[in-house]
Amino acid sequence: MPPTRTHARSRKPPPEGFSDIEDTLLEFSNKMKDAENASHEGKKKYETLWPIFQITHQRSRYIYDLYYEKEAISKTLYDWLIKNGYADAMLIAKWKKMGYEKLCCVRCIQTKETNFSSTCICRVPREQLKDGQDIQCVSCGCRGCSSGD
Amino acid sequence: MMLSSANLPPKPPPGVAPLPPEWTEHKAPTGHSYYFNKTTKQSTYTRPVFQPQAPSPPPPVAASSQAPQTPSFPGPFGGNFGQQGNYGQQGNYGQQGNYGQQGNYGQQGNYGPQGNFGFQGSFGPPGNFGPQGNFGLQGNFGPQGNFGQQNQGFPRGQHRGGHRGGHNFDRRDAEKRAKDRPKHRKDIPGCAPWILVKTKLGRRFVHNTETNESFWKYPEEVRKGVVELDRIEREKKQRKERGEPEEEVEVGVQVEKTQGDTAQDETAQGAEPRPGASEERAKDDNGDSSEYEEVEVTDDEDEDNPSKRQRTEEPAEDQPVEFNEDDIAYQLAAMGQDYGLDPGEYGDGEEDGDWEEGADGLPLTEEDSKALFRDLLDDFHISPYHTWEKLIEDGLVFDDDRYTALTNMKARKECWSEWSRDKVQELRKLRENQEKKDPKIPYIAFLQKNATPKLFWPEFKRKFKKEPEMKDIKVSDKDREKWYREHINRLKLPQATLKSDLTALLKAQPLSVLNQSTSMDALPPTLLGDVRFISLSPITRDPLLETYISTLPAAPDGTTASTENEDELVKKRAERERREKALAEREKRVQEEKRKQRRDLEYGKGRLREEEMELERAMRVNKDGLKGYLAEEQD
Repeated sequence: MPPTRTHARSRKPPPEGFSDIEDTLLEFSNKMKDAENASHEGKKKYETLWPIFQITHQRSRYIYDLYYEKEAISKTLYDWLIKNGYADAMLIAKWKKMGYEKLCCVRCIQTKETNFSSTCICRVPREQLKDGQDIQCVSCGCRGCSSGD
Repeated sequence: MMLSSANLPPKPPPGVAPLPPEWTEHKAPTGHSYYFNKTTKQSTYTRPVFQPQAPSPPPPVAASSQAPQTPSFPGPFGGNFGQQGNYGQQGNYGQQGNYGQQGNYGQQGNYGPQGNFGFQGSFGPPGNFGPQGNFGLQGNFGPQGNFGQQNQGFPRGQHRGGHRGGHNFDRRDAEKRAKDRPKHRKDIPGCAPWILVKTKLGRRFVHNTETNESFWKYPEEVRKGVVELDRIEREKKQRKERGEPEEEVEVGVQVEKTQGDTAQDETAQGAEPRPGASEERAKDDNGDSSEYEEVEVTDDEDEDNPSKRQRTEEPAEDQPVEFNEDDIAYQLAAMGQDYGLDPGEYGDGEEDGDWEEGADGLPLTEEDSKALFRDLLDDFHISPYHTWEKLIEDGLVFDDDRYTALTNMKARKECWSEWSRDKVQELRKLRENQEKKDPKIPYIAFLQKNATPKLFWPEFKRKFKKEPEMKDIKVSDKDREKWYREHINRLKLPQATLKSDLTALLKAQPLSVLNQSTSMDALPPTLLGDVRFISLSPITRDPLLETYISTLPAAPDGTTASTENEDELVKKRAERERREKALAEREKRVQEEKRKQRRDLEYGKGRLREEEMELERAMRVNKDGLKGYLAEEQD
């Protein structure tokens, strides 16, 4: 019988500075667990995914801010976080592009999935919407993420 | 106190009363008769009541009593809901929420009298159910309206959406209806069977528990008691607010209060049947305080107007209450700030401007307020690594005065992100200066406490696997095992070798880390992280160590640049004190401004009251004069 290897044994310690943000990341993961286990009753099929997308966005934004805005974490830690799935690299890659600074999720700019090859409604700037039109996109529950808003 | 019977909607009048001038009666295709107003283009199923002849309000029906005696008239809690003449009399649209029950309207679609259903736009998106609304199962509830069409060409989704809209309307309607109901009861001192009942909307009536009678209008003997009760309550409130009793409730206030009550009663009689009218009047002369009283009684439909509701809750014309109003304004401003609104957005813009402009004494510049906010963040030991949302959710900082130094949420967030950036850099610098803490040290100390030769390594590991020292990921398991084995092996050696090893270790330490001034609590990490150091038990080791340290020479001189640091610290502290003083002064100015405003308001109100009294006097004189004149002529 092969020896059972615990996770802790094989784990390399995370890079320096991880302990600073560990608490916040733990909170995010708790929130994520809650969202995963939340009841679907009374919700639309697509609505159940909204909190998942939202928490992922928040967490990615947190790490993005720490690295690019505040320069609070090192490059090694940032890479490690991305590699270990704490942040969505694809999403962050979009945020660096002009016009996508506030992008809610990558799915909302995926034009191949829509009938008229357009982006999601949440990408439309507020001034181009009708007055008082209240939108919430289907894929992630975003209420508008155009850069000008 | 439940008022189930009073919650029922008004029923149609038993006898057929004549219609008011503009109204005409028609028959709908479904067989219902409805009424149409030529001038207002309003149509309704309710038979309109002839307004000017409406009777005085019936007493509110309380607890165990029967249904209202005058059914044509809305009870106080049934709401004046049939008054705008929409649907109320057929009753209960929202509460039963079932169109079918009301007798199949709409099976054919095309809901009757081009019906303006509902409450003058109080429900749904405009145009939903609008005039020419095509109601019913096959009907299209959608915004397009589409009169008379059988909805064949319409997509299903729209149909569904329309239904949902309808349900929404029901719920909201029900909420609205259920809004007013009795909430508190209080015994009136000195008038035994009478109690004062306050409704959810802040209206009040008296109820006799013995005879089951209720009146909006306070009977003569009860009024005194109510005034007394009000006074007591006000005093209580003041005391609670300021923590000190305030003795400025003069007799004059009481007299005014009773006057107000009578005025209220009179107006209540006149205005109850038509809330719209009374509201309009209340709007016309806003300054008049006795009108508030009237609103207190009749206001029902204007629930969406918060300022009005505030006014309904106050007994209007005495000073402490006015203080309340200002307080509310202040709180509103604070709340607006909480939500990141600019001052202009909640309508107190000029005041803010005044506060900023009227600055004398210590000026509070923008940098100062920013610095204040940063001080606040520092003082609460906020972690710069946490998110802004967490800071707000925790809400620890809200209570501090410095939180309001910055006036809106956007500025606060900006300031916070700047602060956290700086703070992180600062922390990093600090950490670089600090020598790295060896993760070995706590493990070695742990070994000293717990390791025994009786346990093999796997046993030891299993036994203590929950301890943080054993879980620390910075030390590898291999190292742990190595040190453990080494330590256990050394424990088996004779004491003399252990002692000599320790002295060798001590001698190996350079003088800069281990010298005469070294205390036992702050030993160098090279010493603490060594297995040789823990081989001896602390009881024998510590005296040895102490004697060794006492024999050591003093530390080599390292000149410290502490004076500069101290200067800087002093400067920083002084700066901070100045800022805090400035903030305190601003607070004071704000208070003063508020007081001034209050005084102005009061003065204005007083003048209005005076004017009205003058007017009243003038009117009375005129009437008397006319009467007197007529009497003379008759003679």
